[in-house]
Amino acid sequence: MVQTMDISFALNGKEYKLSVPANAVLLDIIRDKMHLTGTKEGCGRGECGACTILFNGRSVNACLILAPQADGAEIVTVEGADVERKLLSIQKAFVEEGAIQCGFCTPGMIMSSLYLLNKNPNPSISEIREGISGNLCRCTGYVKIIKAVERASKDIGK
Amino acid sequence: MIMEDFKYIGKSVPRIDAADKASGKIKYMSDLNFPGMLFGKILRAKYPHALIKKIDTSQAKALPGVVAVVTWEDVPGLNGFGIVTPDQPVLCKDKVRYIGDAVAAIAAETKELAEKALTLIDVEYEPLPVVDDPIKAIQSDSPKVHDDGNIHLHTKVVRGDVRKAFEEADLVIEHIYCTGEQEHAFLEIETGIARIEEDDILTIYAGSQYPQRDQMQLSRCLALNPCKIRVVSYPVGGAFGGKDELTIQPILGLLVLKTKRPVKMVMTREESVISYWKRHPMIMKYKTGVKKDGTLVANKVIIYADTGAYASLGGPVVNLAIEHACGPYKLSNVDIEGYCIYTNNGVSGAFRGFGVPETAFAIETQMDIIAEKLGINPIELRKKNALQKGDIAPVGNKLTTSVGTVAVLDGISKTKLWKEREKYLVKNTKKPWIKRGFGFALTYQGTGLGVGLPDYGGAILRFCENGGFEVGVGLVDYGQGIGTSYAQIAAEMMKCPIDKIKVVLGDTALTADSGPTSASRGLYLGGKATIIAAEKMMTVLKEKTSEMLKVSVDNLDAENGYICMKNQPEKKISYEEIAAQFMKETDHLPETEGYFLMPLADMKVENAFGLPHHIFAFSAHLALVEVNTLTGQTKVLKGAEVIDAGDVINRQGLEAQSEGGFVMGMGYGLFENMIIEKGIFKTTNFSTYIIPSAEDIPSDIETVTVTDPEETGPYRAKGVAETVMCATAPAITNAIYNAVGLRIFKLPATSELVYTLLEKKEEKCNESTN
Repeated sequence: MVQTMDISFALNGKEYKLSVPANAVLLDIIRDKMHLTGTKEGCGRGECGACTILFNGRSVNACLILAPQADGAEIVTVEGADVERKLLSIQKAFVEEGAIQCGFCTPGMIMSSLYLLNKNPNPSISEIREGISGNLCRCTGYVKIIKAVERASKDIGK
Repeated sequence: MIMEDFKYIGKSVPRIDAADKASGKIKYMSDLNFPGMLFGKILRAKYPHALIKKIDTSQAKALPGVVAVVTWEDVPGLNGFGIVTPDQPVLCKDKVRYIGDAVAAIAAETKELAEKALTLIDVEYEPLPVVDDPIKAIQSDSPKVHDDGNIHLHTKVVRGDVRKAFEEADLVIEHIYCTGEQEHAFLEIETGIARIEEDDILTIYAGSQYPQRDQMQLSRCLALNPCKIRVVSYPVGGAFGGKDELTIQPILGLLVLKTKRPVKMVMTREESVISYWKRHPMIMKYKTGVKKDGTLVANKVIIYADTGAYASLGGPVVNLAIEHACGPYKLSNVDIEGYCIYTNNGVSGAFRGFGVPETAFAIETQMDIIAEKLGINPIELRKKNALQKGDIAPVGNKLTTSVGTVAVLDGISKTKLWKEREKYLVKNTKKPWIKRGFGFALTYQGTGLGVGLPDYGGAILRFCENGGFEVGVGLVDYGQGIGTSYAQIAAEMMKCPIDKIKVVLGDTALTADSGPTSASRGLYLGGKATIIAAEKMMTVLKEKTSEMLKVSVDNLDAENGYICMKNQPEKKISYEEIAAQFMKETDHLPETEGYFLMPLADMKVENAFGLPHHIFAFSAHLALVEVNTLTGQTKVLKGAEVIDAGDVINRQGLEAQSEGGFVMGMGYGLFENMIIEKGIFKTTNFSTYIIPSAEDIPSDIETVTVTDPEETGPYRAKGVAETVMCATAPAITNAIYNAVGLRIFKLPATSELVYTLLEKKEEKCNESTN
């Protein structure tokens, strides 16, 4: 039997306490226990970026974090516009630039963009490419995603 | 028809589902959970080719928390599925034919228990020799994957007199081309959930490209009346052909019927890779004859396609490859043959392009070689042979619809990349080992299913209480944007704001059967059906208004959500009021349906099922590359596509297709290949099977449209979802030749391949100087 552990964390600005199996993956906790399904699973091993979240301010693949590691952490997901206002500008830019097709990579892509713009409000094109290079997209060819991040950086700067 | 007259058609309307996708609110099938649900898991084959001697599930069944264990004995109906030939078992009985074959399945209270139960199933196998080479597989002494032998389909199309034409040719070019096995790599893995809903309806929520066909196939397998099955498939996180055939649905359905509880099934990426569809690897022998002036006179082609263990759409893929094997060129002497071959190398099926990216690589390399050997400008060579309206296509059909070959070739000169290519091609004096090159390639792609297959679009239009409309089309939007196009069309037709249109897709209970979401047919057929349903709805609204205003229908017009008098536009009734009137009178709102049959070619190609097609989209692909001669690595610096899409419905959507298609084609050309050794997959995840990332793409991908309106199309448009990826690979390999003088005959042109070829070339060069 796997041991359970009591953990608490802040998710999108709200405090939660819960008991989790010691081997649970944070992604599953977010999706299945917290019912925030905006964060997607595309590979389960940190290769596609669909599950990107902010974890103590850094972008991480939620599929590579064990739930007990989240004890005391501040977590922001794509649903976290209440705590990260920039998310609204980024989401709007993705919609308007046509950067979304099937949309399955979109939440992760948006979270990587948020992390990038948090640390670098005026990224160059090559910095944007690098910033989203851990997020795979099979539909768009990335062109419009890069434009959306560029646009969001301008909109946020206004 | 002037595009400016339209409010929505031809405009860059943002996707109607984009905001919900950006906020994470939208629920994919994999995001659904139901109370009391069980978790399903599938036991896959242990060997790529083996006889099953015994399956013992007793230990798995005894594990507490396991609710059901199913094997072939539990399949109530036909233990077989497959779009054309249902030769793939839902659960294998006496033989496994590839490493992803399903042998048993479990439903348990938790994922962990289901996984543990899998290890408790005891299957006794007798391994058989692995059939892994398609050419050897068709020899008479090869072990057989299926009892009937390893040739699933052999098609031969002959026109004219090839032998004589080769004798008369001034130049004959012969090469063998090989293409890799491409993985769809959609981000949402095959995943789904199912349960029994109201009225005992088995409802399957799983990513699909044709819910109505899934319903039919499931009804056969599960021995259930199709009206007792509902399939829901929207939104879908990518498909590209890979969700055209059934995947997890029959087993999911079986587990629900067995347990009477909801069951969720989540594949891992690795399981998805070994179990489901890929692009056919092909070996293609080409012999092309040409006159000194560049006139093509003969083409002899033999295609060997590895379809893996089961048929699925392998036959139609080979036939489409045959139809497009000569490119969009005039050729009256052709001998084109294709074999679709069973092996134990996974399963191949539908994938964007459907045989065309493969043959486009071959014919466009042949054309580049011919242009060089004859000293003819490669654009001029293609123009000289270009198919035009009224011409006879290589397989014998007369082209009577729009043909954009010349328009596309002329469009090349309109791209920035073409105009500035000389500037980009300057030698890198600081790093002389870096060489640049420019290349292009031309392609085309048939729309729809072809002759002999039921090919229709269907749409339901429902009038809503708010004066808006709901469009219900059975096709699925898995990223390509058809839902938004239908909204544009419905809003334009119904003369109402687009936010009054709701689109429902891919749901057998709420939408009209509109055929498969494949073959670049979604916009064309769903769009036409929506137009027809809307015309009928407009008549219904006008008739009701004519009663209300007591005027003749002929005096009525529609404008911005109102039906108004033609001469007195201020005398009008809003759609909302009309809806209220219907409710008052009948407590019911009207709905209309539109059906449209695909126009077909006026002949069929003998012994080539589905051929020919009637409507084609055309495109030219351009690439500027940089080859590092020290490492063999090729980088695409700039790309462009010139596309004939007829009149464009949504500019932004078209660009998105073009950019995404180019990058997928680039992956196919440079690094994507599923490595399978003796039936075992070696590249089952994204760190071994590499798809392009944002750092791999060119700095610029231009999209230039040339309009050759398709009069039969919705607002004269045609679909381009496939042609946009079909010639990117040969554009890149032609550019590699331009950069370093190496002809690439094998895809992908990996660094290793280019490096090895460069070494050989140097050796040869040294030999000749010594």
